[in-house]
Amino acid sequence: VNIKAFFVDALASALDLGVARPDDVLRHVTPDVLAQHLPRPLWARVISACLNAPRVDAKLLVDTIGIANLAEHIPSTIIWACIAEVGARSLGKQPAVAVAKQPDVPVAAAPQPANRPAPQPLRVAPQPLGRSTPQPLTPPPPEVLTAVPRATPVPIPAGAPAIPAPLAAIAGELETAVPAQAPSRSRTPTGQRNASIGGVGRIGATARRPQAAATPAPTRRARSATDTTETETASEIAVDDSQLVDWSAAETISTGDDDFSDLGRKR
Amino acid sequence: MSQDQRQAWFARVVESGLQNQIFNPSDVLAHATPDVLASHLPPELLSKVLQASLAAGSMTPERVLETVTPDVLARHVPHDVLWACIAAAAHRAGVVAR
Repeated sequence: VNIKAFFVDALASALDLGVARPDDVLRHVTPDVLAQHLPRPLWARVISACLNAPRVDAKLLVDTIGIANLAEHIPSTIIWACIAEVGARSLGKQPAVAVAKQPDVPVAAAPQPANRPAPQPLRVAPQPLGRSTPQPLTPPPPEVLTAVPRATPVPIPAGAPAIPAPLAAIAGELETAVPAQAPSRSRTPTGQRNASIGGVGRIGATARRPQAAATPAPTRRARSATDTTETETASEIAVDDSQLVDWSAAETISTGDDDFSDLGRKR
Repeated sequence: MSQDQRQAWFARVVESGLQNQIFNPSDVLAHATPDVLASHLPPELLSKVLQASLAAGSMTPERVLETVTPDVLARHVPHDVLWACIAAAAHRAGVVAR
C-alpha cells in the first residue's frame, strides 16, 4: 500500500483539473502544520520563494513545496482530510471530514482561531533626534542668598549664670578648638542651589545655632540611705504637728544604732 | 468545477488507488456491484465485458476492470459510488481522523 503516492495523485490531479484549489490545501495544511512537519531545507525554499515573489498566496506555497513533499511530510490524516473535502464537494455534499486535528501539535503551536485579530505592530511616534519635548522647568533659586542675615553665636558674657563644671569644660574646649570657623564659612553657589532644591540642605546651610545651655541631668548613683532620707524630706507631705518627732530628743534616746541597711527592703 | 474535471479527477483517483494498492479491483466491485454496472454501463460496454470474460474463460474483478477502466467508471458510474470506495479504502488505511 503506497498511500502517499495515492495522495500525490489525488491531490495533484485535483489541482491540475481545477477540482481543488491551493486554498483548499492550505486550509488543512496550515502554516502551523507546515512549521511542525516540514523539514528546514524545504522551509528555506519556501522563505526564499516568498521573498522573491511579488505576491505570496496559497498557490505559491503549494507550488513551491510540491504535492509530493506535502504528502511525504505532512500527516496522512491531514492530507486525507483535504482530499475528502474535495471529494465531498465534488459530489455536492458537505465535507464529512472536517479539518483534521493534528495529533501531536503542541499547545504553543496550535492554530490560531480565524477570528482573532492579527497582532498590530507597535507604533511609536517618531521623535526628531536631539530634540526633546520641552518640559516645564522649576524656577531657579535666587542667586543671592548671602544677604540673608545669619545668626552668629553670641559670646557668653562674664556675668552669665554659671555652667556646671562638666558642660563648662566641654563648651570651653569647643570654643577654643573652632573659635569662629563655622560662622565665617561662606556658601558656594553650588551649595546654595542644592540647598534650595532639596530642602534638606537648607537645614544644614543655616547657621548652626549655639547650643542652649542644658541643665545637667542628674547622674544616677546607687541609692544610699542618705539619699532616701533627703528625698523623703524634700517632698512636701502634709503632716500634722502631732506626727512630728522631736529629733533632738530622739537622738538622745537613740542607742546609737544607726543601722538603716534594711530600710530599702522595708520600703 | 465542470463535470469533465470532476470526472477526470475521480478517474485519476481510482486509477491511483488501484496502482498504489489502496484498494483492489474486488473493492471496486464491492461498491460498483453488478447491479450498479448493469444499471449504468452502456450496452456496448456490457457486451465487451462479457466477451472478454468468455475469451479468458472466467470473469474476475481484475478482468472486469481491464475493460471497465477507471476512466469508464468515472464516466458512467455515479461518483458517490466511487467515492464510497475511495473513502472506505482510506478508512482501512487508517488515515481518517477520528
